[in-house]
Amino acid sequence: MLSPYGLDIIESCLTCKMRAERLFCDLPTAALQSFESIKYATAYPKGAVLFVEGQAPRGIFVLCKGRVKLSICASDGKTLILKIAEPGEVLGLSAAVSGKTYELTAETIDPCQVNFVKRDDFLRFLKEHSEACFKVAEQLSEKYNVACHEVRSLGLSHSAAEKLAKLLIEWSSRNGESMKQEPRLKLALTHEEIAQMIGTSRETVTRLFADLKKRQILQAKGSTLVIRNKAALRSLATTG
Amino acid sequence: MSQSCLDCAQRSDRIFCDLEPEALEEFDGIKSLQTYPRGTVLFREAQTARGVFLLCEGRVRLSVCSESGRRMSLRTATAGEVLGLSAALSGGLYEVTAEVVDQVQVAEVRRKDLLHFLHQHCDVCLQVVNLLSEDLHEAYGRVRAVGLVRTRHPHSYGLHLH
Repeated sequence: MLSPYGLDIIESCLTCKMRAERLFCDLPTAALQSFESIKYATAYPKGAVLFVEGQAPRGIFVLCKGRVKLSICASDGKTLILKIAEPGEVLGLSAAVSGKTYELTAETIDPCQVNFVKRDDFLRFLKEHSEACFKVAEQLSEKYNVACHEVRSLGLSHSAAEKLAKLLIEWSSRNGESMKQEPRLKLALTHEEIAQMIGTSRETVTRLFADLKKRQILQAKGSTLVIRNKAALRSLATTG
Repeated sequence: MSQSCLDCAQRSDRIFCDLEPEALEEFDGIKSLQTYPRGTVLFREAQTARGVFLLCEGRVRLSVCSESGRRMSLRTATAGEVLGLSAALSGGLYEVTAEVVDQVQVAEVRRKDLLHFLHQHCDVCLQVVNLLSEDLHEAYGRVRAVGLVRTRHPHSYGLHLH
């Protein structure tokens, strides 16, 4: 079947095969049926903006497929990427719950399927389904954890080298490669985007990568990075 | 300060504490009231979350620390706030360190009891979701302050390094 942007759209949450693996989606049948009746399944191309920081909250966005870049922006245009959201994550949650403006900007970096729920419907849904309310609390806790981690990394790292080393170690641990002798990781972001994740310039990131390769700490194989010297990278992450 | 939440005069002014009578009575039964002097560390970041601390009286400084021991104050929590909430809910590690600024009275609730309590009371769970949203909003504000300032000097954005 033809579908927008080459996405295989999941029409119903009730038949979604990925549900059990996803923190928010794994709801009891009654809650799931109720959620199904208030959600709008939408497909977005790469580069679509779901919401912008400072905008009044319209609702929440459950990311079913694809990835979304979450960033904050200064008035001078400087951007800081807080996180790349993966499928299963609920976006715009704290703003929708508190009624305050969205704190972040969410932009798709792949074609995405998103289930949108209007704020009023979502708040009613939470009041009626305690299990869903509990899952929302868990998601908010996880996001709080990420935000604290970001504050620590940005505010207490001595150098851009230290922040980049920390980021690479974190990525390698996420895909289960960290126990290997030479962990590999797929570089899904541009140098510009990595710079925005660690609060530095694109030029600095390019220079740091060149330096790490020269020192045999990293090796690039296409878009895959191989960590050749884990100990040296770890040392860089703690001392800068 | 009252020993029982049921007689607390400040209850109605505090988001978490203003519970329905049934929930309040149950909360009163699972909490343990403690007094701590200035300088006490209620919990430390990276420590496994054992529960939450409802601040009844006094102030608590929240900070984060780097591997090299540098510390950055995030903010000072005041009476009525629930500390350690996100870590207790996720079952993870405390994200920040909480240190008593002046003598405090706290109502401590063990993680297991809190989870059971929240499962029983959907309205309280909704309150918790609201509190977490506020915490997250505040944390995003910190990220902005730390990550997007023009100057690199931390004191310029109201943060204090130790």
